[in-house]
Amino acid sequence: MSLRLLCLNCAGPLMTTTKVISKIGIYAGGGTSHSWLWFVDLFENKGLHTLAFLNENDVQKGLDDLDVLVISGGDTFAVAEALGPSGADSIGKFVHRGGLYIGSCAGAYLPMKSSKKPLDLFNFVDVKITNLSKILPATVKESLKFCTSYGCDFIFHPVREEISMKSSNSVLPFCPLTFTAPLYGGPGMTVTDPSLVLATYHEFTTHTSFLVSEALAGEILLEKAAVVRVPMGKGLFYLFGPHLEHPKYPLANQFVSDIIRWETKPLECPESPASFSHREITPLKELSGKKKKTFVMDIKRELSNSRIVAVNLEFLPIRWMIGKKVYEPEKVRVFLESMWSRIKSLERIDRLRVFSGDLETIRAVSIKVTQGLRRLKRAVDDNQDSLGEATKIFSWLQQLSMAFYTMYFFTLTHKDNQPPPSV
Amino acid sequence: MEYLSTEKILIIDLASSAVEEEELEESLVSEKIGGIGITKYLYEKFENDDPIVIGCGLLTGTTYPASASGVITAKSPATGKLAHCPITYKVGVEIKFSGFDYIVIKGSAATPSYLWIHDGVADICDAADIWGKDVWESTEFLRELVGDDLLQTIMIGPAGEKQSDYAQVCYNHWNSPDRFGFGKAFGTKNLKGVAFRGMGLIECADVEDYVSRSLEILKEVKANDFLSKQGIAELASAIGEENLTDWLAPITHRHSADYFTPYATITALFMDEDPKIVEETKVAEPGILTSDIYALIALKKAGFSAEDAGRLLRETAKYGIDPLAVVELSGKTSLDDCTAAFDGLSGSLALKGKGIFSSWCPARPIFNDFGLSGDDAEAIAWWERRQAVAGIFGIQPLFALMCPELSEENMLELASLGTEIDLDQDLLDAVVAYVCD
Repeated sequence: MSLRLLCLNCAGPLMTTTKVISKIGIYAGGGTSHSWLWFVDLFENKGLHTLAFLNENDVQKGLDDLDVLVISGGDTFAVAEALGPSGADSIGKFVHRGGLYIGSCAGAYLPMKSSKKPLDLFNFVDVKITNLSKILPATVKESLKFCTSYGCDFIFHPVREEISMKSSNSVLPFCPLTFTAPLYGGPGMTVTDPSLVLATYHEFTTHTSFLVSEALAGEILLEKAAVVRVPMGKGLFYLFGPHLEHPKYPLANQFVSDIIRWETKPLECPESPASFSHREITPLKELSGKKKKTFVMDIKRELSNSRIVAVNLEFLPIRWMIGKKVYEPEKVRVFLESMWSRIKSLERIDRLRVFSGDLETIRAVSIKVTQGLRRLKRAVDDNQDSLGEATKIFSWLQQLSMAFYTMYFFTLTHKDNQPPPSV
Repeated sequence: MEYLSTEKILIIDLASSAVEEEELEESLVSEKIGGIGITKYLYEKFENDDPIVIGCGLLTGTTYPASASGVITAKSPATGKLAHCPITYKVGVEIKFSGFDYIVIKGSAATPSYLWIHDGVADICDAADIWGKDVWESTEFLRELVGDDLLQTIMIGPAGEKQSDYAQVCYNHWNSPDRFGFGKAFGTKNLKGVAFRGMGLIECADVEDYVSRSLEILKEVKANDFLSKQGIAELASAIGEENLTDWLAPITHRHSADYFTPYATITALFMDEDPKIVEETKVAEPGILTSDIYALIALKKAGFSAEDAGRLLRETAKYGIDPLAVVELSGKTSLDDCTAAFDGLSGSLALKGKGIFSSWCPARPIFNDFGLSGDDAEAIAWWERRQAVAGIFGIQPLFALMCPELSEENMLELASLGTEIDLDQDLLDAVVAYVCD
């Protein structure tokens, strides 16, 4: 997967104005789950369309062209393992030279100082985890998602679902006074310098799901940091315990987009055709007419076939432990529905812009996903082991989504597909 | 056509493998309303291509009570006339959810094929793996192939492949209202069947009022005493036919209904397992679902035991042949003799009225008299109108005969409310006259 930057309004010599844009990289490589897709929705809704979708190789090769790097949820250890020393080095250099790192949930744990391998490759941010313990507390509700091992210790999760935060810092004038967002394994945090804390966990709501006693959950989380802002070099780490990017929390989403607009000082976009900081890029194709219609129908066909199987899997009592993370069948459809919801847009536009490598990836991997899901269902129906197949499918879904969104945003930002300027 | 609709008509040419879409224009709905009003229009538009037209009623798949049905419109191989066969069970609603209101199937495929219609995608697929298989095997094969246990199918069996005049299209595993030989129409096109599945949503104008009004009508419907009854045997008694209740009781497992239909018109008969046991079945195929009143009456009159009647219905469903034709035209009175007679049938079954609507459906009111005097000619005229209206709006055709509370007035009211198109009684009268012509 090449790193390609999709430059809004940088499509050709006819452009007459420049726009200031933030170039955002979303990590979707090894160790990530599905929650990076929530950032995709958020950025699309907020008009932040200059996006790159990165796997671990892209990060390892360097992040010079980005203003923002986003790492969302997943298996922190697997993310660290995938990125390795060179990925850690890239991230460190990126932030030092002025980049903005936004880490949500697993992405928040990743840069914290730790002696645990391979997290010790990162060690950028001196933040303590409050939900870390040598001895696991008693649970009030059985859950495979209650804890993960952390060396000889455990990271445990006192609550899941919605929690309310309260702003505690006046650095950012736009920080909402109170807002809610869901916690799905993210950290409670403490820092030595209270000025680094932007928001604390304030109170539980009627939607909060307790995995330990409410009293213990309060002790671990309430008044502890939920959002921290830690400078390093010329750049910043923003660490979110909860998923502020979750699509059902508009106030939290707005906070994220305001952070990006406030904190990034992006380069002005040049008038000349896009100067990509890319590696191994494949030729760009522009599809229109029958070819475009056929290609979109091909995607639609396989997404539909996959969705149909995926819905059936949701009726079955099965889940998979991939690495340290639990995956339910519902997560398959998060990927599929995310892409499916954009098919109508692709049907409506006249021209599709896609790199030929991505064209082949989308065609081939969408078929693999359908066939894999059908094999998976047969395996589950026959009471056979399905972990191997499930692991492959989630990997293919990541690969497919990255190629799809590269095409989608590149098409979206083409000048021919822009809405006419308002009078 | 923004509301109560997928906005799409699918045109498939099996000969050239061309798949095209046309927009369902609001002007067409304003002129022909929906269901058989439009399927007949589309049949006439493409008549030179000998089409089979599959469609949904305007209200199909909504919260209007009994809005369950689709329709197949084609020239009947059995009668030579244009005819309309209701699509029941859960197949009718799945058509609309799978992304198209109407599907026109033209021409003949060069090799056996089936259509896979899903989420607005229409695929012509090679049927080599299922041609020659019976209806049950074919439906199960496709369900396993696509990984979906709830795939809905219109399927032919060996009878349709052999182009028997009595070949029936079957819905999933079960015999259908097809008395027209539509199985042969499929077979002559080398069309094994059509599979549907979709997660489409139906948009409705003023959805809150639509739902609220639907529930009011449902409440009126539920005031009927007959809703304490269920199943096919009660229907037979209600129309003054053979008492099937005692005969079927030992093998009756349960009753079920079409989508959103308050009366359970489908009875499950277990021949190979005790129907009283409430646990997961240990036998692969313990029984059948049936809604064929007249086939059961004919089997009882012919002296079949209930178990053998059920077994014969199972064989006819698998073979894809009209069970009533088998019983009445073969003159055989045993399971084995009837089964052996599948390929040797001759003769024709009696039609009802003009032969446009399926005689699977009793040609009289059920449970309620609808103010009719009892005169046969009046009843037939009433029945044809009631079937026409049910076919236009997509109402379960048996339930339409039971329930005066499902009036033309409130069907028009909900249709207008849901679509924001002004549809009135004069228009409905004109469309009924058109389809009954």
